[in-house]
Formats: sequence, structure tokens, C-alpha cells
Amino acid sequence: MAIDLILNGKAVALDAPPAGRLIDALRDHAGLTSVKEGCGEGECGSCTVLVDGEPVCSCLTLAGQVAGAKVETVEGLARGPDRPLVDAVVEAAGVQCGYCTPGVILAAKALLDAHETPTRNDIKTALSGNLCRCTGYHRLIDAVDKAATARRRLAGDAG
Amino acid sequence: MTADRSRRRAAKRPPAARRATPRRKTHSRPDPLPTVVGKSPRRVDAGAKASGTARYTADLSFANLLVGYPVTSRFTHARIRRIDVSAARRVPGVVAVLTAEDVPGQNQIGVVIADQPLLAHDLIRSAADRVALIAALTREAALAAARLVVVEAEPLPLVCDPVAALEPSAPLLHPRGNLAAKMVIRTGDYAKARAKAPIVLEQTFTTGHQEHAYLEPNAVVAVPDAGGMFLTGSMQCPFYVQKGVARVLGLSHAQIRVVQAPTGGGFGGKEDYPSEPAACAAVLAHHTGRPVRILYNRSEDIAWSSKRHRTVIKHTLLADRDGKLVGLKATIYVDAGAYLGLSSVVAERANASAGGPYRIPNVEVDTLTAYTNNPFGGAYRGFGQPQVTFALESQLDALARELGADPIELRLKNFLRQGSRTVTDEVLRQPPLAARTAVEARDRSRWAAKRRAAETHNAADPDRRHGVGVASMLYGCCLHAGGQHLEGSAALVQIHPDASVSIAIGASEIGQGAYTAMAMLAAEALGFAYDQIHVVPTDTALVPDSGPTVASRTTIMSGNAVLDAARTLGARLRPVAAELCGVAESDVVLQAGAVWARGKQAALSIAELVTAAYLRKVNLAHTGWYAPPKKLWDKATGRGQPYSLYCYGTLVAEVSVDTITGLVTVQRVTAVHDVGKAIYGDGVIGQIHGGIVQGLGYATMERLAVADGKILNPTFTDYLIPTALDVPEIDIGLIEEPYERGPYGAKGIGEPALIPVAAAIANAVSHALGFPLQDLPLSPERVKLGWEAHRSPAAAAP
Ligand code: FES
Ligand code: FES
Repeated sequence: MAIDLILNGKAVALDAPPAGRLIDALRDHAGLTSVKEGCGEGECGSCTVLVDGEPVCSCLTLAGQVAGAKVETVEGLARGPDRPLVDAVVEAAGVQCGYCTPGVILAAKALLDAHETPTRNDIKTALSGNLCRCTGYHRLIDAVDKAATARRRLAGDAG
Repeated sequence: MTADRSRRRAAKRPPAARRATPRRKTHSRPDPLPTVVGKSPRRVDAGAKASGTARYTADLSFANLLVGYPVTSRFTHARIRRIDVSAARRVPGVVAVLTAEDVPGQNQIGVVIADQPLLAHDLIRSAADRVALIAALTREAALAAARLVVVEAEPLPLVCDPVAALEPSAPLLHPRGNLAAKMVIRTGDYAKARAKAPIVLEQTFTTGHQEHAYLEPNAVVAVPDAGGMFLTGSMQCPFYVQKGVARVLGLSHAQIRVVQAPTGGGFGGKEDYPSEPAACAAVLAHHTGRPVRILYNRSEDIAWSSKRHRTVIKHTLLADRDGKLVGLKATIYVDAGAYLGLSSVVAERANASAGGPYRIPNVEVDTLTAYTNNPFGGAYRGFGQPQVTFALESQLDALARELGADPIELRLKNFLRQGSRTVTDEVLRQPPLAARTAVEARDRSRWAAKRRAAETHNAADPDRRHGVGVASMLYGCCLHAGGQHLEGSAALVQIHPDASVSIAIGASEIGQGAYTAMAMLAAEALGFAYDQIHVVPTDTALVPDSGPTVASRTTIMSGNAVLDAARTLGARLRPVAAELCGVAESDVVLQAGAVWARGKQAALSIAELVTAAYLRKVNLAHTGWYAPPKKLWDKATGRGQPYSLYCYGTLVAEVSVDTITGLVTVQRVTAVHDVGKAIYGDGVIGQIHGGIVQGLGYATMERLAVADGKILNPTFTDYLIPTALDVPEIDIGLIEEPYERGPYGAKGIGEPALIPVAAAIANAVSHALGFPLQDLPLSPERVKLGWEAHRSPAAAAP
């Protein structure tokens, strides 16, 4: 039985076991290998994806639970209007080993979509579910801060 | 951004007219300063990692792939009577179940000595010992089979303490005894100094294990390939994996090719350890004739991989009444776990670094590495040095308290100077910069004002107390003299006909930014534009054995090899340029993607030059090589030159301590490091940020709970590492005093970034609380109990 969902903006019928983990459905059945497994128990955030805009740990979510939902991964972001956020993390030198990076970017997107002017503390809180062992977080926080500013500027230009 | 656009534009033009970088302005003279080195361009690997297109080991597909799984037992120390895999073999989906006798070559994986079987057959000495290997169609089938492997064994008494392990009555783990290695330093006359010293400070320190907690667990694939084996995986040292796999398969090095996959962090944890899962995968692949992948989950990774060593350090510091250090005696017990692994090498660094950046004339250090049934001690960023730095720096603060002296002033009085003798009796010829780092850290952090403010705050006896602490460090960069035969490093630089360049180095990219630094060095030395340089994954078939990616040595060793290759290629290109421009060869400079003839930008582009060179059949590929001069060092006394160069650093940490909960919060860290020259600026800063936060975890929260040799908390739920909410404010000062043998003057930074962190935090906590702390980590329970005992010693006494 296929799971119907909107995956990175496209309607798809994912042929994956609904009782299996969402991370496996995305990696093994949709080829979205940006979704990384770091712990498999909801502690590291490497497997973060957005489900209807909310960051969730795909290692703790069943594939069947996202039927009818909008699911986003970094592969989708890199091709869409959120590319500047991806670039901000790169430009701010927020990437070292890169294993945490896709999850961090998605957690950041969820924050920016909900808050136009997040404080540094808001950013830290939003990223606190995503472990990064390499960067010491400073450059990641800077990146999200810069991306927020850039978004406001864009919104200002548009309005 | 410009680079991307120029690349796209360039692609539309015929090759001859391709230009590496758009000519914005025509300068009339090449820049006398480096044009790329010292800047912070976009990392070569960041785009792919951030957009999810980088393929880590778990992301790769292979036809006929099997899942490999190593089977451990419920024993920690036992004599094996029988291993029965017959039921495991019958599980549907299981393709092979192998035991020790199925290993085609040597059943051995120890990197320094042969004390570690790949598969246990007579004795089990640790909870991580493997007794069988399974290859199956799915992980579920492999796990089901693993549960059916029967191990009958007779339990043996456990050895769980490195000090007790060396007592004559201790049960032996290996026939040679439990003393796995011994290092010493004997300089001056300690006994005489001790008899005369007016101040004698004695303390015993303990430090716990630390888990690397790289975000990508161990992962490796072995693919049978034309009678040999191809492997790719998450690793720091492809050459170690190559040798380790050749040994267990009984094949030659040339039959094993190892390509590093993008690696999700290492920190030393992927130095020697990945050779173990790689050997397991290779044996299974050899036996089944199919590709085999081993992916650890987090608990397996924590339970089976190596850790920062637990240590016990008995420390005596001698000083005179002016605060001048006159002697040091230290006995350092290093808990190796059940096998040597790299423990003797780690111990060598702990031993050589025990005296820090100070002048101490009379020294007696014994570093005893002990076998126990505890978790496997191994390489971890800092390599034995964070532990001895914690002990020594705590002792210096104890001395400052005793004398009523300022801790930084006390250190300034004792730092090594040019021409001083180190504790290993080496005369320092390069300027020792410890004092400069300390003065800058003091001034940047506003040390005196902050210390006073904390003391004023604490005088009111609040529950939440403040403290400011310092620690300094000397780091012997690159390999210790004991391992100098591994130091030679290679780099292959190849200029393609379209003037793009690929480089392959012998060191690996584990997140630290090595590939970016190498691309920058190649661009600078070739005179090509940075975006023309591509770094290919580290591959044992492309470059000669370049030793391990450890000891903060990559920028220096691989960097010099890249420069060697680039200079050779430059010497081949310049005559062609001279001929085309009609000038003397000495009038030609290649820089920033342009050809300069007689000081003017020539009408010739680099691409045209390369095309012309190819037409003239010039060889535009070269393998560069670098090896540092030999170091003389005597193992029997520990005297001589243990390292080629030293890096210095000083850290000031500001903390607040909640005495009700025992929680330590690190508010601010000022870090000053002597880096020679920061090649890749963002990379250096990133290393320092990351090192501080990892050190903060080590100091305050990372507690590996071990009972009877078993790890009780092998999950991120129970083993806590810092999150974004735990990070302090960080201020960084870089001292750039070029190192004569470093590429463009560079030294290393990976490990210095972490080494002094726990020591500075512990000194800050001790400043806040008013008593010394001897045990890492400073977990809330320890801090709270310590505080209660300090407040009412009578009540706390048993
Ligand atoms: S893998 Fe899902 S939270 Fe770690
Ligand atoms: S960059 Fe390595 S874990 Fe974040």
C-alpha cells in the first residue's frame, strides 16, 4: 500500500511500509539520503524533516503517519526558495563534517517560518534538538541570524 | 558566488579562451602578499554537504550488498569453552556466520602490537570483544542470528582499575602482565629538589572516559575486487585500514584499495578504530564474495569504539617561596582497556607534555599504561594531554592560592623562554609564545577586573557563585619522535588540459577543513584561482602512505607536500609562459589565475598556458613529498626532542556555579592560540569553537558510566554532550608568528583548541567555590557534594 504525500513540493505515492520508520521510507524508497541517522532514538536531530512545516525526528515517526502531509527535506530546500538559508549556512562556515547540517537547516527553516525576528536565544532554543559535535554551534547560530536578516530584507523589498 | 558564475560563463566559451576568474580590474603588478592564503573562501565540500548531495557510507548503493554484523558476548573477562553458531546459520536471510578459524590471514588487529584478536577464540577480555561475524540480507536477520550465537565460557575475575591492575595480586589479562607500556622522564635531580623545596603540593587527580560522539557512527563497506578488496568508509586513516585489512585477509597492501568516504566527524575516534569494522567487513566479503556493509547504530558505536583514556594522576609540584617551580613528580596511570591499541602512543604524549609550557628543572614522570577489562582507550583529540594539563594547571592554581599570588602572574614567572630547557631537556630554539598568549588572554578577557568582580560577588555568599580561571598549554605538534617514521606525507597535484586542477592528499577530511586548506595552498603556490582546484577523496591507490591524520599534522605535512608538488609544476609551466610571452623565465609570475610577464598582466591566460604546455608534452602531474628533519630522543630517560615544533595557547574561562544543584555554567571563554599562520581563517576559528565546546562537555557534563567493564549509558539520552543552549560566549585571539617550516608559516590547531579547556574551567570552578577540584568531569553531583563537604567538613565526614 503506497503512502500519498507531498514530498518536497511534489505529490508522490511512496511505496514503503507504513509501519516502518519515516527515515527509512525517505532514504530507501525516495532516495533522500540527506536524512541522516545519528542515533535512531530522537536525541540528535540528524534525521530532522519538516512535516507540515514542523520539525520532527524521522527516526521516531512512522511512515504511515505522514500520509496526506507535506514533507520537506534539504534536497527540496536546496532547489527552492529557501536556497538562501542553505547558502547562509555554507557562507557562515557552519558546515564542518556536514553530518548534522541537513537537520540543522530544517530546524532553522521551521524557526524562520514561524518567527520573523528571532533573538539569538530563540535560535539556540530552536537548534537545541540538533547535536553538532564539530562546530561548537557559533557559526550555525550566526548563519540562522543572517538568514533571518536576509529574509526580512527580502520581505521589505517585496512589500 | 563570483566563482560559480564565472565557471558557468566560462563553460560556454571555447576552451582556448576559457579564463579561470573574470578579470575585474587589470592590475599592473602581481600582489606581493598571498592572495588566497589567510582568507576564508567557501569550503570545497560545504555545498554538497548542506544540500544533501554528499554521499556518506550509509548513502551508497551496491549490487548484492549484504549487511555485516559483529557478534559480542555477555562476558567481559572469560575463558571460552565453546562457540556454537549452528542455530545462527539456520536463520532465514543469513548468508554466513564466521568464527576465528574462518579468518583467512592473521586473526589480529592491534595497530602497534599484536595483542588483539579480530575474533576471540580462547579468551574474552572486554565487553566489546567479537566472537563471530554475520553476513545477512537484512539487519533484522543479522540481529536474529546474533542472538542465537551460543558462547559457553568460564568467567574470570575482572580488573577494572588501572592502579589496582598493576598490583602483583591482580589477575593478568595478557601473559606479559598488565603493564602494557611504561614511559618516563628523568631530568635533573628530583629527590634532592624535594628535600630542599619550601613548598610541596601533592594531589591525586582522576579523569573519566570521554566518548567522541561524532555524529556519524562507524560505517564501512568492503567490496571484493579482482582478487583483492576495495573498501570505503568513515575513517581518519585509510592507510591504517589498508594495512589492517591486508593482514586479516593475508593479502598484500597493493591488493587492498581504500577510499575515504565523506566522514561525519572523527576527533581521533576514527584513527585506528575503523580498521576493526573494516577488517570484519572484509573477512565477510572475502568469504561470501559479495559487498558487505557494516553500519553501527549509536549504542553499538559507543559500546564498541575507543574512548578518551581514563587516568589517575598522582602529582607533586615543588616550588620556592617566590613561586618559581623547582620540581615535578607525576605518576600517570593510563587505563588502556583490554588491548594496547594506540594507548602507548597516547601515553607518550601524556608523558612528554606533563611539564606544560614551564621551566621545571627537576622532573620525574612515570606514565604507566595498564591493561584492564574497561572500555578501550584510544586516540581522542588532545591524545593524553587534556588529562595531564588538568592536573598540572590545577596544581599551579593551588600554588597561587598557597602564595596568595595571581594565577597568571605566577605562570608568567615560570613560562619557557627562548633558550630554556623543557622538561624533556630540549633547548627551545623557536620563540616560545606561551607568555604572549597568556598576556593577550589576560588583557582580552579583562582578567583582573573579572576576578575581582567574581570575588566581590562571592563575598556575599550567594548560592550562585562566580569564578574565573586560566590554563596554559604547550602542544608538541605532529607525531612524537617515537612515531616519526610515519611522518612522511604525499600529495598528488594534477593539472588537467582545461586548467582545472585535482589534488589528492594522504591525509583525510574529517570535517576539520583540510581539503579546503589544501586547495588554498595549491591555488596560492600554483598561482591558479581557488575555484580551479578540486580535491579528490583520499585514496590509497593515488598517493603513497602518508601516515595517519592525527596530531594536528595535516596542514603542515600534507600542506608542505602540496607546496612541493605545486612548485615542481610551476617550474614546468614557467618556461612555457616565458616562451609565449617572449620574456626571461625569471620575469614570469603565475598568480591569482593570471600570468604576469615583466610585472604586467600578460595577454595570456592560465588556460592558454596550460593548453600550450600540453601541446609541448609537458608532464603536468606530480606527487609532492614532505618529511620533517629527524628528531633525537632517548626513550630510557624521555630526554631529547620529542616534537618538531610547539604550539602555545592560553584560555580564560568564566563560570557560574549553582551550589544548590551543583550545575556549572560556562559563561565566557577567551582563547588565545599561537597558530603560526591561519591558512583557512574560518577553518581555524571553527576548530577553536568546536574544541572549546567539546572541552566544555568533557569538563562539566560528559560522564561515561562504567561498571564491571560495561558501559551503562551508551546512548545520547544518557551520555550528554553540549547543545546550542550550553555554548558560552567565545572570544578568540590568534597569534600569527610564522613557523619556519610550516606552509606559509602555519602550525596546527585541531588539538590545541581542546587541550586547555577542561583545565581552565576547573580552575574557574575552583575559584568560584574556594577549594580545589581533583576529578573530571565536574558533574553536578560531584560539585554539590564537594561544596557541602567544604561548607561543613564535619557533617560530610563519614
Ligand atoms: S537519528 Fe533521529 S534523532 Fe538521532
Ligand atoms: S558539522 Fe559535524 S556534527 Fe555538525
